[in-house]
Amino acid sequence: MNEAGGHLESARDDRTLYVIVWAILVLLLVVGLTIFVLPIPREAAVTLIFGVAAIKAALVLRNYMHLKREHLLIYAIVLIPTLFLLGFAITLIPDIVFRHAM
Amino acid sequence: MSAGVEPAGVAITERDTIGKIPPGKIAVWWFLASEIMVFGTLMGAYILFSFAHGDFAADGAHVKWRLGAFNTLVLVTSSLTMIMALASARARNLSRTRLFLLATVLLGITFLCVKGYEYTTEIDEGFTPSTSIFWSFYFGMTGLHGLHVIGGIVINSILLVAALSRKPWDILERRIECAGLYWHFVDVVWIFLFPLLYLT
Repeated sequence: MNEAGGHLESARDDRTLYVIVWAILVLLLVVGLTIFVLPIPREAAVTLIFGVAAIKAALVLRNYMHLKREHLLIYAIVLIPTLFLLGFAITLIPDIVFRHAM
Repeated sequence: MSAGVEPAGVAITERDTIGKIPPGKIAVWWFLASEIMVFGTLMGAYILFSFAHGDFAADGAHVKWRLGAFNTLVLVTSSLTMIMALASARARNLSRTRLFLLATVLLGITFLCVKGYEYTTEIDEGFTPSTSIFWSFYFGMTGLHGLHVIGGIVINSILLVAALSRKPWDILERRIECAGLYWHFVDVVWIFLFPLLYLT
């Protein structure tokens, strides 16, 4: 197969993957809504719903934003603010717990 | 080549690997990093406020989760059409590129129309940003997200015009890729906003 043919084949594979990812995203939306309407204990339902949301976000990031093929520099650009954010949130938790929850 | 020259050669290769990332793409990722801070801080504040000020479930029961679910479907589908526009641009298929860009724009407008309808009914029912902390967060976060959707629609419309005026493929492809990164990020934000505000 020549280079152009290989490129077209690869583009077709990518398009198939994109449609499969979309179908999984729709399925996960239905799963999240099913968890919401079912009589599941609230804490368990919230955990499951956000678990499903995290999987959906990871699918978009990896496949549509092509993070799985990206350079380490891009990972660093994304991870550094995410870690800062988690750090800020964690440092505020003791304040919430001691002021309001106790 | 002498042994002394080899390290310089290796260094150039490594630099070239980083240099292969288009500057525009790095700029978009930097912008998205700042957006992670903006939306992440708002979501973090919402979660901490919900712990501190009791449950938001009573207020949250009044939001229209069915419309929110429909809008999630619309936005996820628009992500598919956006990535298909990029794939079509890479395959040098102009008509499909235009079609998928137009579909993305129309789905973005659909999202805004549904959101507008939601706002109208909620305000009619007496829920405004000043009603409670929950509604302040609700209108603040969905409003900011809506502004990002408007921004995405404007960018995609500009790209659609560029596709209609037959811009060179390499420029068009690179711009669609950068606009796509932004559009998918807006989708990721909604993927978390929807359960946070509508389902919990």
